[in-house]
Formats: sequence, C-alpha cells, structure tokens
Amino acid sequence: MEKEKIINELEKIVGKDDVLTSEMELQIYGYDASLIKGKPDFVVIPESAAEVSQIARFAHQNQILLIARGAGTSLSGGPVPNQGGIVMLMTRMNRILEIDLENQRVVVEPGAITLDIKTEVAKLGYLYQPDPASEKATTIGGNLAENSGGPLCFKYGVTSNHVLGAEVVLADGQIITIGGKSLDNPGFDLLGVITGSEGTLAIATKIILRIMPKNEAVKTLLAIFNTVEDGANTVSGIVKAGMVPATLEMMDNLAINAVEAFYKIGLPIDAAAMLLIELDGLQDGLGRLAEHVVAICKANNVRDVKLAKTAAERDQLWMARKGAFGATGRLRPNYLVNDGTVPRTKLPETLRRVGEIGKKYDVQIANVFHAGDGNLHPLVLFDERDKDELARVHKAAFEIMQLCIEMGGTITGEHGIGVEKLAALNLQFCSEDLAALANVKKTFDPDGILNPGKLNLIASEACGAKEIAYA
Amino acid sequence: MHKTDNPVDIFREIVGDAHVVADPDKLKPLTVDGVIPGLMVSPGTIAETSRVMAAAHGLGLAVLPTGSGTKMTLGGIPKRADVLLSTKRMNGYADYDIANLTIEVECGATVHEVQAKLGAEGEGYFLPLDPPHSQGATIGGVVATNSNGPRRLLYGGLRDIILGNTAVLANGDIVHAGGKVMKNVASYDLTKLLIGSLGALGLICRTTFRIYLKPEAAATLFLSFANLKEAETFFHKVIPSFYYPAALELMNAQTVAACQGTVPLSGAYVVAVGLEGIVEAVERQIADMTEMGRTAGALGTFSLKGDGHRGFWVAYGDFTDELIKSHPDLIVLKSNFAISRQTQVMEAAAQAVKKAGGECALACHAGSGILTTAILTGGEAGVKKEAIVKLIEEMTGEAVKNDGNLIVEKAPRFIKEKVSVWGKIGADISLARGLKEQFDPTGIINPGRYVGGI
Repeated sequence: MEKEKIINELEKIVGKDDVLTSEMELQIYGYDASLIKGKPDFVVIPESAAEVSQIARFAHQNQILLIARGAGTSLSGGPVPNQGGIVMLMTRMNRILEIDLENQRVVVEPGAITLDIKTEVAKLGYLYQPDPASEKATTIGGNLAENSGGPLCFKYGVTSNHVLGAEVVLADGQIITIGGKSLDNPGFDLLGVITGSEGTLAIATKIILRIMPKNEAVKTLLAIFNTVEDGANTVSGIVKAGMVPATLEMMDNLAINAVEAFYKIGLPIDAAAMLLIELDGLQDGLGRLAEHVVAICKANNVRDVKLAKTAAERDQLWMARKGAFGATGRLRPNYLVNDGTVPRTKLPETLRRVGEIGKKYDVQIANVFHAGDGNLHPLVLFDERDKDELARVHKAAFEIMQLCIEMGGTITGEHGIGVEKLAALNLQFCSEDLAALANVKKTFDPDGILNPGKLNLIASEACGAKEIAYA
Repeated sequence: MHKTDNPVDIFREIVGDAHVVADPDKLKPLTVDGVIPGLMVSPGTIAETSRVMAAAHGLGLAVLPTGSGTKMTLGGIPKRADVLLSTKRMNGYADYDIANLTIEVECGATVHEVQAKLGAEGEGYFLPLDPPHSQGATIGGVVATNSNGPRRLLYGGLRDIILGNTAVLANGDIVHAGGKVMKNVASYDLTKLLIGSLGALGLICRTTFRIYLKPEAAATLFLSFANLKEAETFFHKVIPSFYYPAALELMNAQTVAACQGTVPLSGAYVVAVGLEGIVEAVERQIADMTEMGRTAGALGTFSLKGDGHRGFWVAYGDFTDELIKSHPDLIVLKSNFAISRQTQVMEAAAQAVKKAGGECALACHAGSGILTTAILTGGEAGVKKEAIVKLIEEMTGEAVKNDGNLIVEKAPRFIKEKVSVWGKIGADISLARGLKEQFDPTGIINPGRYVGGI
C-alpha cells in the first residue's frame, strides 16, 4: 500500500491531527533510553480501545508492522521501531478509570504514568507496590510489557505479581478480556505470558492492578562499608536472620562519588559500598528488627549506619539511591546499563568478576543494584563518539551476561531482551526452549506484526541451560 | 528405535519392567471419570519421562499425568486414557539452596515431605504453600492444578512463589522456563503459563520455589458469629487495615464439624485468622482483632498456638477428604470472585444448595475471594441430578456476576456430562486452543480434560 494511502486510512481512524509523519516527529519516536535507534514510518495516537483495535486490524490486513509505545523509558530497545512500521503512542490513554478500594484493585489505561497511579492511591491510604526507577515518566502499559521491577521487589514481587487482569487488543484487532479483579481465573495464565512479552503478543488497553493498604510503620537505614564484601555479607546476614526487608539496595564507590558530586548529601567518597535497607510492617517490634539490622551491619565491619528518624530524613536517604543512575550518567556522555540477575549468594563473586571485566576491557563500571534479589545494574560508562571504546563496552556487557548465566542467573532481571540482548538469548536458552517460546509467538501473532525484531526466537545449537546433577 | 511396536514392551524398555502396570485388575481402581487407563507407566527421571512422552507421541497414545491422585477428579471427562503417567518416582531435589532461599523440587515429591525436610534444616525453613490434601498433594499436582491454600493471603499464590518450571512437552522435548532468581524477564514467562495448565502444554517435572525461614511466632485467632452480616463487618475492618493476617478464613458449621474437633469454638459461622511474623506483631494482632471481632458482634473468640494452631490448619486443609469418608459422592466446587463479595457469594451458595434440597460445607479464603463448596448429598441417591446441574449453573452465574468464575473440582461423571466443569468459557479460549495446537498438536496430554475440552 502507498504511504499516502496508509496515512489516509490511519487518519480515518484517529483523525488528522493524531497521525504524525514529519521527519522530526518520526525521529522523536525512533529511540528509547537505550543506545538502540530506529525510525518509524508513521506515528499514530489512539484515544480508545476501539481505535487501537481498528489500527491493529488495519495493520494486520495490510501486513504493516505495529509497535506500541509508552514513554520510551525502556533500557533495552523494547519500543524502538528498528524495522520501521507504525508506532502507536499510548500516552493519551492515560486515565485512572476506577479505584476500587473494597476489592483492592485499580483499573487504569496503559498510558497512565506509574507514579501518578501510586500518588492517587496513596491519597486514599493504599500502595501500588512496583516502583521502577523511571516511575516519574514510565507508563503502566510499558511496565506491563517489560514486567518492570524496582527496589521493592524483594518483598513485593515484580509488575507481573500485581497485574491481575487486562483488556487487550490482539494482533488481528480482536479485543478480549483476560483475568479480572478476582484471583485464580480458570485457564492458561495468558496474562502472565503477555506481561513481560515486550509488546510482541498483544497490546493492553485496560489494566487491572492490585493495590494494598499502607503499612503502619517503615524503618529506613543507610549503612556505609569499606569493602563491597562487607556490604554483601550484611545483605546475606539480614536475609539469613529471616527478615524480608522491603528494600535492600546497594551502590559501589563510583556510584557513591557520582551521587555525592551531584547531590552533596554528605556521603563519604572513599567508601566502597552503601546499603539502603527498608523494613516495613506494624510498628510493634519493628524497632527491635532495625536494631538487629544495625547489629548485623556492625558484625560486618560497618563504617557508619544511620536510621532515618523523620520522613524528611528517609527521603534524603532514598535520594541517594533514586538519583544514582542520573548522577552516574553525568560522569561520561553515555552509559549502558546491564541488568543480569544472580542468586543472592553469588553476589560477592559476581561483583568481583564484573570489576575484572571492567579492567580487561578498560571501561569504567559503576554498580547500583537490588542486592536482596540479586539484580545487578552495572553501568558501563563511555563516550559513543569513541568507536573503539564503544566496541569494548559491548564486549564487556556481553561478558557480564555470560557471567550471570555461569552464576546460575539470568541475562535480564527487569529491563527486557529488547534489541540489546538478542544475541545473548542463546546463553540462557537451548534450542528446545527457544522452540517452545516461539510457539507462544506463533499462537498470538503468526504474521509477526507486533513489535518485530524483539525476542527473535531463532533456534540455535548453543545451549546455556544445563541438566543439573542430582544432589 | 524400539525393537518392538508393542506399547507395553516399549515402555518397559524405557522405565524397566517393574514400573509398567498392565494388569487390568490393578488399573481398574485408577479409573478417571469412569475411563479405565490402558497402562500405568512410572518413569524415574526426567530423561525417562522425555522418552516415555516421545514414545507415546509416536504411538499416538493419550497420556494422563498423575501423582497421588488427589486431583484426578478435576477437569472434563478424558476422551482417552491410554497411559496413566505416574510421577511418584520422581521425588528428589534438582537444586537445594537454603542460603539462597530457593529449592528446585521434582514433581512427585509431596508438599508434606518437602515441608518436613525444610523444617528440619537449621533453624527451620518452609515452603509458603499449604494446599488441600495435606498428606497426598504432590508438587507437580499442586502446580498443574494451581492448588493454593489459605496462607496465600500473606505469601502469595503459586504464580507469586514459583521462580521456574521444567516441563516435558508432548514430543518429549525438555523445556526450561525461568530459573532460581526472583527477577527474570528473559523472553516469555512460560513458568506462569504452565501453572494451572493441568499439564495440557507439557508435563511439569521440576519446579523452583522461594522458601522462607520459619516465622518467630504463629497463632490462630478464632471468632464465632451468629450470622454472615457480622462476619462481614469484621472482614470490612480487617481487610483494609495495615494488619497482615497470613490467612483469613470463614467456615460454616458443617465445615467446622469436618475439622475433626480442632476448632475451639462453635457457631453458625466461625472465622479463623492465621497470624505469623515477629512476636510483637502477632500478639498485637491477636489483641486488636479480638477487639474488632467483639465490636462486630462476635459471640466468642479464642486463640491457639503450638500444636493446636498447627493441627487446625491441617484439618482445615483436609476437610473435604474427611467428608468424602462418609460421603463418597461429595461434589466439590471452587468459586473465585472479587474479595469484597465473600459473604454475598457464600450466602448465595448456601441458598442454592438448600433450594436443591442438599446440605453443604462452606470454606472461604475471605481475604483472597475463593470459596470451596462441598455438597454433602450429591450422588444419584440424594438430590436429583437436575437440581445439582441447576445449582452449579446458578453458582457459576453468581461467581461470574462478581468478577469471577467457578470450577467443578469433584463430581460424579453423570453430573460432569451436563455442566461446564471449568465454568464460563471466555473469549480467550481461541488463544488457549492455539497454544494447545502449538505445544501438543496431536492432543495426547489429558485430552478433553482442560478448559473448553482442550
């Protein structure tokens, strides 16, 4: 079909103003927060499920590629239209449709910003738990597509654990409802497989989320260590004591320096590691648990440990963590963030070897990570104009993913495969696994219309998953 | 290739003579909805399971996986049952990582065995899983049937605590999904797709779970109420609060009676609140919830710790097994619904059963929106078949009206023939059929038993 005709048809669905075709507009929707770039042929902005359905049906009938996109905060190239096609911008479908307190659910549109949802329910004394670092900008539809995580996952799980229902538009334009406000709906867990599918299976137009009443009390602690091992051993000690903190976040020396240079909150710039710990629950006994945490820190040679006494102090402790990516990003023009995850007990060894990989490829690596769940975030710093450095960065990133698999983990904990990690899929899956994954894509989108070029499921002889010997 | 094309010999060659049962007298008691299995094959390893599946696939034989058999009453009437594949010999640990708080267990191990092993470890660990049928329920069966228990309120359901699954597909392929880390977004979440799938896409051979250190303190608070309205008042105070009960259960008098004397209160309705955590928080919740219960109109309250507390939860999980002893034709239904409708759905169930001329034991996970209805006078002798069919339709309608659905967990074949055992079938059935077509194109695993007759 000719370009003009396609524009015409799309305009019939959403109106003239909501089809973008200028070179500048196409450039804007060609990238995300990763290094991956592409360019769509058209950008279309629907305002309802009916419009999304019509766009999908049109794309399907004419075999035009269709890529749904939220705020573009993906770190893996998830929404990048690297094969062209129609980018469908979901950000105008951003209403909170229903806050159902008695059933502890909210019903939202996919373009709603995650922090807006959290803020609205917080006014009523409730929490929507997942808290990706990009929550100020990121959309809930994007969170569903990527199965986003965040610092609170150790206790509360990832996005997938909080998505209970959705209205989705399938590749052929059909609108169906999956799951609902209740738990345990019979049938295959289609919602579970759509969540985290990076927009390659279906497009959500309405999402039902779980919300929870706020905790009575929270205790936030910040501990400073002279070695990364002491920090990691403290994490192990806390978990071994049976505590399930809402948060166990760690930053290394380079990240601490970056944060201090920018925020000037008094962090010691010679410290090797900083650990942010948050306990929540009823106030009864929580002080005792906090003291226990302090004792574990001390037993692991803590240099300094602070307990936030006021909400303002708590916010300040959190600022160090939440601002870490941004502050670290200031050190060099670009950074690539890996997000492999390893069993928590393998953290010290993994961190040591990430440091060795940095040395081997002569690249700077800052570590900001979710220590409770073993989700690493090595930020590899560079300048993309330096082609030699860029090549070394990619090699280092790949080797870190290999390391995570060797440690018994995964190549991606919360950022997704996208385009960035396609070459690493074979590290984790053998050909039988990949064939099974391809079965899912074939069922939902046999023509490969939805977000093509992501999660390419091409069988390979390489096999990372090994049979484990019996203990 | 196999030297013979006789299925019995082929399976014997794979698993050994001792692990193939072909004697009709031994197979008769293993009947599934009146269908007698042709053979029972018990592979000892995942590799043998893969070869058994591949052979069945090649021969076009229907395979019905089974563990202890506690859930064989679930699902539609099987179209065929050529091979009953017993998972019981696969009961080891593929990974056992206490320090990382994860274990990978084989499908034939019982939840009970796993809990006993974890409980004896160091300071005592546990799997946050308490499905019905405390002695028999196997890991594979629990995962395949998404069989959750009361404590899901605090720890989450199976889809929240499982980190990975390894399955053998219909063609014998061994497929690994997920892993042993809590965050994992590498490609599609096949782990979740397999949970509650009744093995329709593949036989679930190994599952990796999160485990926890045992809590400092645990107790049960019982409250008795004269009517549902007062119980509802209590729930409406507790559920939106910052208290965190591990379980919040509502029983009628028949269920209390089936708990083998472990409930210290009597009454038309008894609420059981499971409490776990640090000592101070458990004590505070007992005190505050007792007060909340009294304000709501509770006739009596009682708290139990230690053996009394543990004994109740085992008996409660087994209440349908207890009833089956005296009522072998027991009909068991599971309704799910939006949580605020717990008493409304329970009242509707009681009324519907009464109207049909029956009696029922009701047990509700009031904080999670799940109701088990056990109808005592099922069977041909008691309530008329037409009345039961009508009752199931009515209750399905009630659950659907409240944002949920209904599953028939156990019913005689003549009832199953007349009702939709998986409740109302939604528009997503075409995707479900599509998945089945891709994963098991010749339809050899559990044919006819899953949603929509898949």
